[in-house]
Amino acid sequence: MSPQVPESRYSLQTRLVLAFGILLILFLGLAGFVLDRAFKESVAAAVEERLQLQVYALLGVAEPDEEGFFLPDLQEARFAQINSGLYGFIVDAAGTEVWRSPSALDVNLEQANFMSQHVAPGQTMFGAMDSPVQGRLSYASYGTFWSALDQEYSFIVMESVEPTAAEIREFQSNLYLWFGGLALFLSIAQLTLLRWGMKPLQQLAMEVSSIEAGEKDQVEHEYPPELQAVSKNLNLLIKSERERQSRYRTTLGDLAHSLKTPLAVISGIVQQVRQKSGSVEQGDNVALQELDEQLERMNQIVSYQLKRATRSEQSRHLGTTVQAVPVVEKIISALGKVYLDKPVSLIKNLDAEAVFQGEESDLMELCGNLLDNAFKYCRSEIRVRVSKKGQGLQIDIEDDGQGIAEQDRQWVLKRGARGDTLKSGQGIGLAVAVDIVSAYKGEISVGTSELGGASIHVKL
Amino acid sequence: MRLLIVEDEDLLRAQLVKALSDAGYVVDSAGDGETGLFQAQECDYDAAIIDLGLPKINGIDLIKTIRTEGKKFPILILTARDNWTDKVEGLDSGADDYVVKPFQIEEIKARLNALLRRAAGFAKPTLDFASLSLDTTSKRLSVAGNEVELTAYEYKVLEYLMLHPGKVVSKTELTEHLYDQDYDRDSNVLEVFIRRLRQKLDPDESLKPIDTIRGQGYRFNVPASS
Repeated sequence: MSPQVPESRYSLQTRLVLAFGILLILFLGLAGFVLDRAFKESVAAAVEERLQLQVYALLGVAEPDEEGFFLPDLQEARFAQINSGLYGFIVDAAGTEVWRSPSALDVNLEQANFMSQHVAPGQTMFGAMDSPVQGRLSYASYGTFWSALDQEYSFIVMESVEPTAAEIREFQSNLYLWFGGLALFLSIAQLTLLRWGMKPLQQLAMEVSSIEAGEKDQVEHEYPPELQAVSKNLNLLIKSERERQSRYRTTLGDLAHSLKTPLAVISGIVQQVRQKSGSVEQGDNVALQELDEQLERMNQIVSYQLKRATRSEQSRHLGTTVQAVPVVEKIISALGKVYLDKPVSLIKNLDAEAVFQGEESDLMELCGNLLDNAFKYCRSEIRVRVSKKGQGLQIDIEDDGQGIAEQDRQWVLKRGARGDTLKSGQGIGLAVAVDIVSAYKGEISVGTSELGGASIHVKL
Repeated sequence: MRLLIVEDEDLLRAQLVKALSDAGYVVDSAGDGETGLFQAQECDYDAAIIDLGLPKINGIDLIKTIRTEGKKFPILILTARDNWTDKVEGLDSGADDYVVKPFQIEEIKARLNALLRRAAGFAKPTLDFASLSLDTTSKRLSVAGNEVELTAYEYKVLEYLMLHPGKVVSKTELTEHLYDQDYDRDSNVLEVFIRRLRQKLDPDESLKPIDTIRGQGYRFNVPASS
């Protein structure tokens, strides 16, 4: 027994789609995260640089006076306009405000704890705070030592974060839009490429199933180099399997021939001896009778076992279908010749669509045996019906002969009832038919026909 | 009745020749298809027994060729391959019946008898002509219900004539179909048989069953009773 192979739950296509999909999400997610972060950092750096420049601008125009500082010539118009979003402050070392820009008249500095924080001269401290009116503000606080006043001061510039936040939001929405589009495009491209790439595999799968269904003899399509080895070998396998089967059958046929001819010779000798019965003693006559019986038995065993051998191995048919009706017609015409002396009225009901999935010789053997029995045992009437049953085939054969006794039916249909256990004179026809039907996993049943004789029903 | 037997197994062929000769047939035989075909072409046979597995020309091809050449005599197939594909192929190619090996000689005789009778257009094993009735199975003749003794040769002549009713059968044809080739073909002997048959069939000369056609031969001239 071969080890049980676990069945793959996912198709190749599903695997590739899943893998690529996960990769796509990871890649786009990570790239988006990195881009977003880099952009925010660069925006933050730009803000800091701007604040620093504004601090320098304040420093450049600051002039000390008795009350603190006087900044006469502010270059940046936004310092002059109230609530412009750009605010300047100067605080002394104690954190006391000594100057604020006109724009900052409204700014409430209660939350601005950082103002009291000491910033060493020449250093800049960056940060952000919330103001109840102006919203969130980012700031830069620059420490400086004013030698004329002999004191340290902090020059502070605050700027509303709103414009930069808006810039970031816009960047993000752009980013989402582009990445979304990219994801969509890549997904479509991936599916298209996948379908194109997988097409030969699907084609091969389809061809294999039509070979299985018997619609084709072999793989015909041209495949890419990677699959050519598979398709070629598959064709070789199918071919060698068919050759093997036919060789097997020929060999067994030859074996039958070489066994049966000597049997025929022996049987002839027995008859020659018997014909000179004048010179044969009574005891010898009994011996001849026994010899005859044993010969008949040997013959039955040889026939039956050879038939079984040629059949059971062929139960796995590899892609052949046969039109059932021509086979049945051929047999009926052949039997018509053989039983020419017997006036038989034959009612045929044959569906030309009916197809047998298997070897023609098996169907011929099956129908040959059943029809031969019908011709042999009927009185004058036979009915044959061949019909299509879904994918399968149904054969019903009835006659008006003696029929098969109720108590014999089970026994007669038992598979593998061996040739040497057959009652003499019964023939091996029905036993062979039963074997063929079970080799094809079909059903066979025996009943009583309304014609009065046996009715045999076969489903394949 | 002249038979051709084509069978490659020497012993079996010898048995068949012996048994059928004993049964009153004139038998020619061949051991391969080629010789068989030659004989079938050369001689006019009443029936042939042909094995399917033959050397040189196989049985099926032999039968096909014989039929293509217009020979109509019945053919009985012998086959060891007891499968329907072969049987159907054989019957399809032009044979009329088959016997599967091994067989009882009696079966061959019965089948042959039926084939010969059928070929002549008789459905029953008894050939009935007016008050004459020839049983081909038991080889007995009855005239108006009374059994009449016939010698083996008388029977052969009568059977042949009855199987070809209304047809003029020449003396040559009769000798060919009733005697072995090496038999002394003395037409006087035939005339003796015919004369004796006439006496046995028609003692009061009312039926006149066998006509003599001058220079041509004999004709069995009683309408068959259906």
